[in-house]
Amino acid sequence: MSNAKKDKPELKGLPEPEFRKRKRGISIVWLVPLLALAIGGWLVYKAVSEKGPTVTITFKSADGLEAGKTKIKYKDVELGEVDSIVLSKDLSQVIVKAELVKEAESFISHNTRFWVVRARVAAGSVSGLGTLFSGAYIGLDPGKAGKPATHFQGLETPPVVTTDLPGRHFELRASSLGSLNIGDPVYFRRIEVGQMVSYKLDEDGQAVTIKVFVHDPHHQLVRKNTRFWNASGLDVSIGADGIRVDTESFATLMIGGIAFDTPANLEPGEPAEENDVFNLYKNRESISEKTYARKNRWLLHFDGDVRGLKEGAPVELQGIQIGQVLDVSLEFDANKAAFSIPVLIETEPDRIKATGKVPEGAEKQKVMDYLVTKGMRAQLKTGSLITGQLLVTLDMHPEAPPAKINWEGRYPEVPTVPTAMDEITTSLTQMLNKLEKLPIEQIGSDLRDTVAGAKRLINSAELQDSIAALNETLNQAQTFVASLNKAIAPELKTAVSNLNSALIQAEKLAKSLNSNVSPQADRTLKELQAAARSIKVWAAYLERNPEALIRGKSKSKRR
Amino acid sequence: MNHEFTTAKAAGLISCHSCHLLCESGKRFVERVCPRCGAQLHDRKPNSIARTWALVLAAFIFYIPANVLPITTVISLGKAQSDTIMSGVIYFIHTGMWPIALVIFLASVFIPLLKLLILMFLLVSVQRKSSWRPQERTRLYRITEIIGRWSMVDIFVVTILVALVHLGGLATIHAGPGALFFGAVVVITIFAAMTFDPRLIWDTEEATYE
Repeated sequence: MSNAKKDKPELKGLPEPEFRKRKRGISIVWLVPLLALAIGGWLVYKAVSEKGPTVTITFKSADGLEAGKTKIKYKDVELGEVDSIVLSKDLSQVIVKAELVKEAESFISHNTRFWVVRARVAAGSVSGLGTLFSGAYIGLDPGKAGKPATHFQGLETPPVVTTDLPGRHFELRASSLGSLNIGDPVYFRRIEVGQMVSYKLDEDGQAVTIKVFVHDPHHQLVRKNTRFWNASGLDVSIGADGIRVDTESFATLMIGGIAFDTPANLEPGEPAEENDVFNLYKNRESISEKTYARKNRWLLHFDGDVRGLKEGAPVELQGIQIGQVLDVSLEFDANKAAFSIPVLIETEPDRIKATGKVPEGAEKQKVMDYLVTKGMRAQLKTGSLITGQLLVTLDMHPEAPPAKINWEGRYPEVPTVPTAMDEITTSLTQMLNKLEKLPIEQIGSDLRDTVAGAKRLINSAELQDSIAALNETLNQAQTFVASLNKAIAPELKTAVSNLNSALIQAEKLAKSLNSNVSPQADRTLKELQAAARSIKVWAAYLERNPEALIRGKSKSKRR
Repeated sequence: MNHEFTTAKAAGLISCHSCHLLCESGKRFVERVCPRCGAQLHDRKPNSIARTWALVLAAFIFYIPANVLPITTVISLGKAQSDTIMSGVIYFIHTGMWPIALVIFLASVFIPLLKLLILMFLLVSVQRKSSWRPQERTRLYRITEIIGRWSMVDIFVVTILVALVHLGGLATIHAGPGALFFGAVVVITIFAAMTFDPRLIWDTEEATYE
């Protein structure tokens, strides 16, 4: 240090710097980290304030989903991004963690639905083709406001109807889903007015609840008494009344569908409310069948063949359907070693319009008893000759043997009479039996003997001889008649002319006697005339059959 | 040690930064102006430690968003993909391009951080008047100054990509906000290195200190 100070004088004469008063204070450079802090702080604030809710969605598969890439969109507006995809502990599902934007917080509720939007090609629709290039994304439907939630079960198929769509949901109860599927159209007079949204099997597995959505103006068409039916595919029914083919549209042939209508025989009811429950009928035909609340069940025992009698076959009373067959089974009575066929039928008494006092309870039994004593019987009848379908008729058979309703069993048993066909068959059988009893063989052999005897007789020499003799006799008779003709004819001629003159004289005499003896003469004349006629006939006969003179008048000629 | 070295400051001399005129150092704690060119005269870079600290802190703050925010957004066939620096590195590792991954990692993550840490170490050591290995510390400073600018490679690549890849619907690349912060980190670090006066390392050797 001292050395350095010693060196200093060597550089004397150097210019002195000018002096200015130094400004003291904080250096301006500290603005840089302050600015950086401000920017950094702003970024942090922005990140924190814009951080929306984090939700977890479980899916069956993460097909097409990528952590950090897959977006969550509603109406194609990005609302979030998938953060991570992990498998659930039991490996059955994937758990997708996603972060939504801040704004999403206000409408995410337990009603919100998530699903994966992928390219889908179904029979009825093609959707999500854009995702072929951009990759799948998760669709979001806010749903109605509800409790806040962060865990969601992702839908496997996109919901058909989103919350913002105006319209109404209805529930349909059906015994089976048929060929229906989610997204299938709902038709009203063959116009597509809605879609099937979801289906659910009842817990006891007895029925299916189908949810449909009907779009805005059309939902007013659904009334409390509207009937929905399954318009799926081609409905070919072969029933007692022939073959029917029913279809709603070509599209339903391929993908199925539901149609509804309010039957014309019913007054339009109140407009249906959201989530009203309806019955889903099998087909269009069945909706026009009135449904009746009251149903009576009866048991029938048939002995004959019931081929062609199916469940659902109509039960008719004088040609009008009053019910249907519920069950056909076969019973074997081990004691009697006999088979019988119990048929359970159901009648709907409301189908019969009753006048006067309608009987109830025990009264009803009396009425039925009375009808049966009057001859009401159940009988099987052929509904269609082509298909051989049978139906049950309840008709009056006054000639039937007396019977009674058996009220003892589970179902009252109505007596039956055999089928008309059975009766015909029975009488035919009886006739055949009688025919069988005839001694046809004996008759045949007798007949043969007779013919043989006749043949023998005809061919015998005696007959030949007698015919020859007869021939000869005839010839002789001919010559005799000719000679007789020659000998007798002239005399006969004179006798006739004499008779003629006598007659003329008699006529003259008659004329003279006309006044007093006329009636007697008239009578005499008539008798004479008759005599003459017989003579004429005799002469003619004799001329044809001269042999009559010898043999008398014969009845038939023999050769 | 190093008693044989004489510094201008010790000799009461001062050199103008602009025209390099050698002047008498004169009184301290007043503003001195070069008599020839009128530039301010300093014994050492003024307020060097405080300024460097400020810039280093600012660079550190910016370093966080630079790495967290996406540096590029590639929109290809309607599919947007944002990449941060590290996700790019991971991408290259996954695709087996180790050298590229290494270059990006070194130039964009490791070196900026290294520079900031070196500067901090130098600042702390100067403030603590440490006399530990001044030569090595000076070498560190020189390395920092030289390699600092190469961190801009990343920014250049992004710039070139954004300018070149404009294929409409097929592919488009946008620079992300991370690029801006990353650029800020690199530039601020370069300034920090500039404001640091390496002579301070040696000043602890002197008995006198400003």
